[in-house]
Amino acid sequence: MKAIEFINVERTFKDGDKEIVALQSTNFSIDRGQFVAIIGPSGSGKSTFLTIAGGLQAPSKGEVKIAGQAFSSQSEKKRSRTRFSEIGFILQASNLVPFLTIKQQLQLVNKVDKKKQREEMLELLNQLDIKDLQHKYPSEISGGQRQRAAIARALYNDPTIILADEPTASLDSEKAYQVVEILARETKKKNKATIMVTHDIRLVEYCDQVFEMKDGVLKEKSPDSLSSGQGS
Amino acid sequence: MFLAWNEIKYSKVRYVLIMGVLFLIAYLVFFLTGLAYGLAQDNRTAIDSWEADGIILPEEANGNINMALLSDQAVDQVAATEKAVLGQMAAVVEREDSSADERLDVRFLGIKVDEFLMPEIIEGRAFETDQEVVVDVSLRDEGLLSLNDSVSLLSSEQTFEVVGFIDNAKLSVSPVMYTTIEAFQEIRFGEMEQERDELAISAIVVRATNGDIANVTIDNEQLELIAISDFISDLPGYNAQVLTFAFMISFLIVIAAIVIGIFIYVLTLQKVSTFGVMKAQGISSGYLARSVIVQTFVLSAIGIGLGFLGTAGTQLALPAAVPFQSNGLFLIVVSAVMLIIAVLGALFSVRTIVKIDPLKAIS
Repeated sequence: MKAIEFINVERTFKDGDKEIVALQSTNFSIDRGQFVAIIGPSGSGKSTFLTIAGGLQAPSKGEVKIAGQAFSSQSEKKRSRTRFSEIGFILQASNLVPFLTIKQQLQLVNKVDKKKQREEMLELLNQLDIKDLQHKYPSEISGGQRQRAAIARALYNDPTIILADEPTASLDSEKAYQVVEILARETKKKNKATIMVTHDIRLVEYCDQVFEMKDGVLKEKSPDSLSSGQGS
Repeated sequence: MFLAWNEIKYSKVRYVLIMGVLFLIAYLVFFLTGLAYGLAQDNRTAIDSWEADGIILPEEANGNINMALLSDQAVDQVAATEKAVLGQMAAVVEREDSSADERLDVRFLGIKVDEFLMPEIIEGRAFETDQEVVVDVSLRDEGLLSLNDSVSLLSSEQTFEVVGFIDNAKLSVSPVMYTTIEAFQEIRFGEMEQERDELAISAIVVRATNGDIANVTIDNEQLELIAISDFISDLPGYNAQVLTFAFMISFLIVIAAIVIGIFIYVLTLQKVSTFGVMKAQGISSGYLARSVIVQTFVLSAIGIGLGFLGTAGTQLALPAAVPFQSNGLFLIVVSAVMLIIAVLGALFSVRTIVKIDPLKAIS
């Protein structure tokens, strides 16, 4: 069973009396344990793709399934619930709550859904090397540490899918490599399906598959074409 | 609660300031409530202490006891469970030995010792002759009179000896002096005409079967039976005072709600992107809205609690002359209303939270 599946998904916008196609009819799926990257220039439809995958907007046509279950056709309320339990977001800037300490970010997940059994909080923070920062607020730690905390927050609820939107945008390249490496490692270890949107082609070496988005069309790229594309 | 409380801990200064504003408003509301209640009570405690159901006045007095005069023979025309005659008159008295020119505005109430209007003495003894009075204890508390003092009426030569003090005896904001109905004749009309078999009185106060004045019958068309509650609200100035304070207090409560509503709304607007990210993560609007409401509740409850303590502290330091009186029931009701309205003010913000589009927050 696919972790996430796009079936003929299309997204159009009305701009006055013109119709703009942000995402052409797309078929796409990945399995658990896969780490894929989507690259492409800004305005190419990457964000539209990711927000549809995350259920933040509905497709105009087609359907998105998560773990075999209908997702995009669900009601707003149910989608919000699925988002909470099945999807972990890692955003460009930090998606941490500014007034909660790192540990409290994870505790919040427990408060919202008390029933689910989750892994040991401190153990997870330890794996991401931020256990010592558990009582710090996001504003008191570095950008790389914040992104690692965001990864911890995304992993903590044990989602099926991790959606990362430019997770390295505000980091220098050394930190960026570190963060993507952790993301790749945790994807394998915890058997998640991870989709990372990035414009930084150098980061794709950690990915199993790379897709390119151009004018709303999603195409798989072979690793070779990437390296040659980088060289030219 | 988790989000709400951790945020308060994180932004201490901000929330302490909001609590401070709420404290001040609550303090003002409580204080005004105490003053309003105290003043209202000063109009009526003497009447309340009678535990009467109705009062009978001549019809032409139009409910105003100051204008009322009737014969005590009218008592026989009234059928009620208990009846008592009452003479009432405002007067100015002076302490006999006072070197200072200290004059007291008082209300003389003439009663019969064996009837139910006879108040309970808390210090000293009841009056026995026409030259003795028992007076409201506020005069002692304010240091104006003490036991065995003699007071003289400014309008005549009569003097009275203070033989006892009573609690809760104020009428139209003046302390009451109870004396005999015979002494009242002298105060009212000067030298008493000899050998009159008729006494002039101001009113007949009655208690009715089951507290229902419909059970009282009067065999005289010149007399009018008024329920005690109507009589009180018709006391000169009473209704105006009560309404003025009631309006001030209710506006203050509404203003308090608007102030906290605006504060919480501004804070919510500042947090729109944070809320948006949380909604993108699948945390429901309901959870976030509850958090904001709990936060408002906590802030208001602490502010109101501090206001309550502040009022209690101030009350201890107030001079006896200030008509401040707190009433547990009023305080509870006012606190509850403030809390409820403050939470209603936070509902503005709930609308904002529900409307936040997580898509905009993350792109």
